[in-house]
Amino acid sequence: MNFEWTPEQLVVRKKVEAVFAGAAPEFDALEQADAGAIQATVRKALRLLAETGYLELAQGEAAQLPMLIAAQEVVAQASSSLFLAVETTARLFGGLLAQAAPAWADELLAPLRRGELIAGVALSESESKEAPGPQTIATAVDGGFTINGRKSFVTNAPIADVLAVTVGLDEQPAVAIINARDAGVTIGPRLKTLGYQGLTVSALTLEDVRVPANRFIGPLPDGKLADKLLLTEALVLTQASVGLAQQLYKTAVSHAKRHRRGGRAIIKYQEVGFKLAEILTQVQSAQLLGYRAGWLAARGDAEAATVMHCAKVFASETAEQVAAKAMQILAGEGYLWGNRVERGFRDAKYAALAGLSSEQARMTVADNILTLYRV
Amino acid sequence: MDFDLSSEQLMFKEQVLKFARKELAPRAQESDLKGEFDFEAWRRLGEFGILGLHFPAELGGSEADVMTSVLAAEALGEAGVDAGLLLAYGAHTFLCADTIYVHGTPAQKQKYVPKLASGEWIGCMGLTEPDAGSDVAAMNTRAVKRDGQWVLNGNKIFITNGGIADVAVIYAKTDPSAGHAGISAFIVEKGTPGFSVGQSWHKLGVRSSVTSELIFEDCAVPEENLLGNEGHGFLMAMQTVEWDRSTLVAPLVGVFQFLLARSARYALERKQFGRPIAQFQAVRHKIADLKIFYEAARSLVYRIAWCKDQGKPLNHLEAAVTKLFVGDWSLEPSNAALTLHGGNGFCHEYDVERVFRDVRLAAIGGGTSEIQKLIISRML
Ligand SMILES: Cc1cc2nc3c(=O)[nH]c(=O)nc-3n(C[C@H](O)[C@H](O)[C@H](O)COP(=O)(O)OP(=O)(O)OC[C@H]3O[C@@H](n4cnc5c(N)ncnc54)[C@H](O)[C@@H]3O)c2cc1C
Repeated sequence: MNFEWTPEQLVVRKKVEAVFAGAAPEFDALEQADAGAIQATVRKALRLLAETGYLELAQGEAAQLPMLIAAQEVVAQASSSLFLAVETTARLFGGLLAQAAPAWADELLAPLRRGELIAGVALSESESKEAPGPQTIATAVDGGFTINGRKSFVTNAPIADVLAVTVGLDEQPAVAIINARDAGVTIGPRLKTLGYQGLTVSALTLEDVRVPANRFIGPLPDGKLADKLLLTEALVLTQASVGLAQQLYKTAVSHAKRHRRGGRAIIKYQEVGFKLAEILTQVQSAQLLGYRAGWLAARGDAEAATVMHCAKVFASETAEQVAAKAMQILAGEGYLWGNRVERGFRDAKYAALAGLSSEQARMTVADNILTLYRV
Repeated sequence: MDFDLSSEQLMFKEQVLKFARKELAPRAQESDLKGEFDFEAWRRLGEFGILGLHFPAELGGSEADVMTSVLAAEALGEAGVDAGLLLAYGAHTFLCADTIYVHGTPAQKQKYVPKLASGEWIGCMGLTEPDAGSDVAAMNTRAVKRDGQWVLNGNKIFITNGGIADVAVIYAKTDPSAGHAGISAFIVEKGTPGFSVGQSWHKLGVRSSVTSELIFEDCAVPEENLLGNEGHGFLMAMQTVEWDRSTLVAPLVGVFQFLLARSARYALERKQFGRPIAQFQAVRHKIADLKIFYEAARSLVYRIAWCKDQGKPLNHLEAAVTKLFVGDWSLEPSNAALTLHGGNGFCHEYDVERVFRDVRLAAIGGGTSEIQKLIISRML
């Protein structure tokens, strides 16, 4: 047992800290930037991160999870929006490819590791009452596939080079890798979101998009890849939430020490100081639970998936509660547009509804537990 | 970062779990209902070696590390052992015996620790007074040196094991002008003239533990019964919080695994609207929340134990965070477990009712949640 990071676990984190030093203003500017400027900043960040080994961490190798989590803390605190753009590329897209490991995976993984690609993963679509099941369909044609359909919310789509699209092939799940500039691909418009305004999200429409066989994974009948993708999302959203809660905590503490009312710093009032104590308690517990979940996953523990979903629910709801308390502490200043707390308040909602939503995750946790007690 | 437990630690936890499920847990409901201390269960705890787990072998212990003590305590909670018995164990082993072990002279250790470790003697610790709860330094109990003896006068309240203890560690003011630095600790044995037990309290939870008033009226103890240095009492009391925040709260974490198991089984068995209630999402939601709390709380408690095993100075911030989390964040999930059991959850026949009441102490005993927030907010 060891509740501290070992020097080996900190190797990548230290490098990330070094390459990110001084980049804060640039990352902050993401929140008001257009897609072109966001793409430039994300590309730059990916290239910087490529030097550190961050991008390839834990893509196929679960044992690296603690090392990854240590480093993710730095990126998630640097910029919530950037963090999700990077993780969507490296962990979701990269992890999916590494996990499925088609023979040609390295043709994309190698440039990804060098920070040369921005990627997205297109999963969600609206459900049809008439025809249940996937609405984005692949049809086999000579030497490849044709894809038709529409995905509703695709992170990074407006700035991506490549996209992994989940499709139905003869009613079996499969994944097609498409280039954002392929014929028949329509991206956008960029959606306006409540939070994570430095992240680009849009719908994706695919009309007779040709995908060669060496960019197609599946059919995947066993659902393992989908489960793995959900767990990766859980990990990323847990870290995003912990990072956000940490940012908010730091902002609220420094404000409470600096801001004076009634002749003293407001931290001296229990109504403020005790809220900060609650915030810290929530942040530390979410952080530790995230570590534990990652550690369990790294060793392939049977309970890992359950605890990862627990961590995601707890961390995302923690971030929301912390944001509300931090806003209360910064009060008028925090309510102003552009303030870190105002931004965090808007960002915090996302993780609880994204990936496996809190509702779905709780059901999954309970199902896993009930299975243990079913006689 | 590594959460691995050694195979010895895991094996020992399993042993404690097995022992407790067989020898202690079946007695829990009855002793809670009667509100009486279970001396037989106490004897069994002592025989198994729980009461002196971390003391050296020559003092009757098993030389266990703190983590092992935490795991044992967690296992007792997980087995569904009565929390009154576990509070008695905590007050006895950590607040009383350990204080003598850490601060006592060789003679004091020899005299008291082996008998406490075996459970032959029961120990208690008296800090709280009618006018000094959270504000320890406001205590009025006085100890004055007179003719080679310390003479104690004052009242202690809410003292766990007070009415059944053979040995008490009592905190008293030796220099009232010095605030915290004027507090010293004394060992007082049962039967010492001037030492008597006043009222005992009926309580919401931990009902089988004896909670008593201790009265000192010109109670003279030999000079050598001063424990530790004069004026160091407050520091000594604060040192015991390491145990308060780890081993003493560990049963309250373990008990959530017990609630989880009980709730899962109940949800699968109980049918309404033609199906097991486990099929209702609102019921599954509660099961998930029990699991989430259990997983979060456990790592916090382990972290304190690990720090102590590393010989690191107690991180007061982390300790307070742990106590606050276990105290306040346990309320909703314990409530959820009760709700999930419907009317049965409200009845004594189902032990979630007992556990629900017991868990409530976590936010009060050993420093209230507000005091934890005070500690944290001052350290930010
Ligand atoms: C079952 C049981 C067993 C116990 N066993 C022992 C034992 O073995 N030995 C022992 O010495 N004591 C024991 N205690 C006493 C326990 O430690 C005290 O009850 C506890 O410390 C709180 O003190 P109090 O009850 O005097 O509450 P008070 O200090 O009077 O507090 C009342 C309320 O005011 C709040 N408050 C107080 N000060 C502040 C502040 N500065 N800021 C904000 N809020 C504040 C508290 O949080 C609480 O909500 C036991 C208590 C119980 C119930």
